[in-house]
Amino acid sequence: MAIIAETKELTKSFGNTIAVDKLSFSIEEGDIYGFLGENGAGKSTTIRMLLGLIYPTSGTAYIKGQLFNNSKRHLLQHVGAIIERPDMYGYLSGWDNLRMFAAMSFKNIPKSRLEEVLEIVGLTGREKDKVKAYSQGMKQRLGIAIALVHSPDLLILDEPTNGLAPQGIVEMRNLILHLSRDHGKTILLSSHLLHEIEQIASKILIIHRGKKMVEGPAEQLLDPNETLVEVQMEPDDNIARMIKATQWHGSLTGSGPAHLTFKMHPGKIPGLNKWLVENGAKVIDLHSKHSLEAYFLSLTNDSATPHRTV
Amino acid sequence: MIALLRIELYKIFHRPRTYISFGIVAAIALVIQLAMLADGKNFIGFALQGVSEQFDIKGNVLNGYLITYLILQTLLIHIPLLVALVAGDALAGEASIGTLRLLLTKPITRPGLVLVKFTASVVYAMLLLIWLAIIALGLSVLLFGTGDMINLKSDAFVMLLKDDVLWRYFAAFAFAGIAMMCVAALALLLSVFADNSIGPIIGTMGIIIVLTIFSTLQLPIFDAISPYLFTTHMIGWKGFFDAPVPYDAITHSAIVLLVYTILFVATTIIVFNKKDIQS
Amino acid sequence: MKRLFCLCLFGILLLPSVTMAQDATQLFYRIRDKVKGVNDYVADVRIKLDVPFMKVPPMKGKLYFKNPDKMKLERQGGISILPRNSFNLTMNNLLPPGNVTVIDGGFDTIDHKRVRVIKVIPGSDTGDIVLTRICIDEARMLVLHTETTTRDNGTINMDLYYNSYVAYSLPDKVIFHINLKDYKLPKGVTMDYTGTDEDLVQKAKQARVKKGRVQIEYLHYTINTGLTDAFFTEKK
Repeated sequence: MAIIAETKELTKSFGNTIAVDKLSFSIEEGDIYGFLGENGAGKSTTIRMLLGLIYPTSGTAYIKGQLFNNSKRHLLQHVGAIIERPDMYGYLSGWDNLRMFAAMSFKNIPKSRLEEVLEIVGLTGREKDKVKAYSQGMKQRLGIAIALVHSPDLLILDEPTNGLAPQGIVEMRNLILHLSRDHGKTILLSSHLLHEIEQIASKILIIHRGKKMVEGPAEQLLDPNETLVEVQMEPDDNIARMIKATQWHGSLTGSGPAHLTFKMHPGKIPGLNKWLVENGAKVIDLHSKHSLEAYFLSLTNDSATPHRTV
Repeated sequence: MIALLRIELYKIFHRPRTYISFGIVAAIALVIQLAMLADGKNFIGFALQGVSEQFDIKGNVLNGYLITYLILQTLLIHIPLLVALVAGDALAGEASIGTLRLLLTKPITRPGLVLVKFTASVVYAMLLLIWLAIIALGLSVLLFGTGDMINLKSDAFVMLLKDDVLWRYFAAFAFAGIAMMCVAALALLLSVFADNSIGPIIGTMGIIIVLTIFSTLQLPIFDAISPYLFTTHMIGWKGFFDAPVPYDAITHSAIVLLVYTILFVATTIIVFNKKDIQS
Repeated sequence: MKRLFCLCLFGILLLPSVTMAQDATQLFYRIRDKVKGVNDYVADVRIKLDVPFMKVPPMKGKLYFKNPDKMKLERQGGISILPRNSFNLTMNNLLPPGNVTVIDGGFDTIDHKRVRVIKVIPGSDTGDIVLTRICIDEARMLVLHTETTTRDNGTINMDLYYNSYVAYSLPDKVIFHINLKDYKLPKGVTMDYTGTDEDLVQKAKQARVKKGRVQIEYLHYTINTGLTDAFFTEKK
């Protein structure tokens, strides 16, 4: 697959603060590229550098293999974006906003295309309303329509589910999948929530404090065999000893008198639970989570997490 | 560029705020006209005090041309503030509502965007001046008729013959256009530094008010700097109502204003081109 | 005998001045009667104001006059500007009415022409005029120059030039020399534009000279049309 966007050693400092630190990644055509990091991790700064809104302190960003700078703004004809909030001209109607931003792409976009994108994002019938009367979800959808209207190859969606109700989040997710599958768009999707990314991303990049932490295909990062199982029980030294002789020992990653942790496929959890009960363990709590989630959560509490690649 | 300019103008003229300026202009002009209708004779008596002790002035002194001059005298100090309302909002306003980043993800160059914003602000300023011309000149002439025009300067009493006045107004409005271009450029420059439009609007107003004080206060310390202040030259339109018209001084003023305008716009482009858009 | 001789000599010496004085008085009354022969007139005029602080273009208009002191300048919809107390502007009013005392002033020369000079003191002291010095072309019976000292309006000099209306003693051109008070409005009020033109600033400074000139050219007269006093009352 061809690379549609790429950064090399991209770095941005604001005074003494390094917002993005030597970040390199590449997005291939057809990817839903999940860009994950907690708030303030440097996601928006990276996206802004990719779009030429912020100038890198060092390093480079490429779009379609060309070095992106202010003189190459025609490259933006291949990109549609919403960054952070979907802010538009509230005193104008949705249709006027869409029409205006469509005209700025300097492509000859027919009225039917405007109607088509409104249909895609589900705003048909509401386009004549003033944007200030729109709900947050409608604004997000109009933002996507604006990003989509000039038929770009790459869609950059920065936190598109921010401020949406649960139902809206589901709709947005379905819309993104629809755009990827049915319209062949490459999508850079940034979020601070893992479960949003993990459900749809084909590739995932996690950054923390401007640095790349993890990057790799979702199926590898989200391998079910990497599911983390944590058991809390009443203190019992025998259980840990007994388990060494069983099939579960291979999955054991940590143990103590009152807790055990395993890494295994979720399908094996009932069997593990049965063995524990049969062997007299007084289980207080048993729960599973994906190791990536565990890892991601640890980032929010810990600053010195090592770099990891898959 | 033309497409972009049309979009800019569409935005400006679809915003209710834009029309407040037109309303203010009409209101001030109407108030002055009504006051003159009601009490113009006394006003003229007062204004002509210095001359009428020695000269007997009769006829339609209080005509549309004089009233237009009075309105311009009052309003042309305030029009820059109204121009700042739009030009100061041009970039900072987009930054504050968050549309600037969306605009700049479209294939538009930043210098192009600055020039379009500047042009749109100038178009707005020109329309405001044309509106002023219609309300001040048109309505005053309709209400008070035309006639010879008296212009009271601090050291001279100037009378212009009726048939020799109208072209002066057109020239004066054209000059005011150049002055407003300079104001728009200043407001735009301040606009590039801010992420909300209040700062640049107040900033422009503040600069103009302070510099106008420097320009008009007759103190030796200000005399030295006042030829270099653009506010000194902004009232160059008045030169057209002198006899003879000081063309050299007016040309000089127009050039100073244009140089300032170019300087402001060029600085705006340089600063905006280097700016990280974080709004 | 010696005394008689001295008396005669004194009389002979004195006689010419007495006769001349009588001449001067007669001259004045004859001039005044001639001037008063015109009861009213309407004249097309062109007025030029040459006053340092006033920049007024030449004004064309119609000047209406009615004996003894009614005067009005009309400009088609335009503004008329005349020195205050427009009575100063016609010769009729510079010639004091009623009984007067006339003093012979000898002779003078105007434009290489010998003219008779008389000084006139009004009989009544209620009027504005204190003293008028009049230079007369005796041959044509025309007043060529007057210098009038007034109670309230300083001294007004007036030069008169004749051509077509000599028969009526009506001038074709009159130039008034008037005294002026200073004129100044605070700059803050007017917000002047002077540009950077130093010439203008200099001119403004020179404008302190307190003398002015008003020139009226009479292009055409219509004499004794029967104007009524009501015509001169100001329309409000």
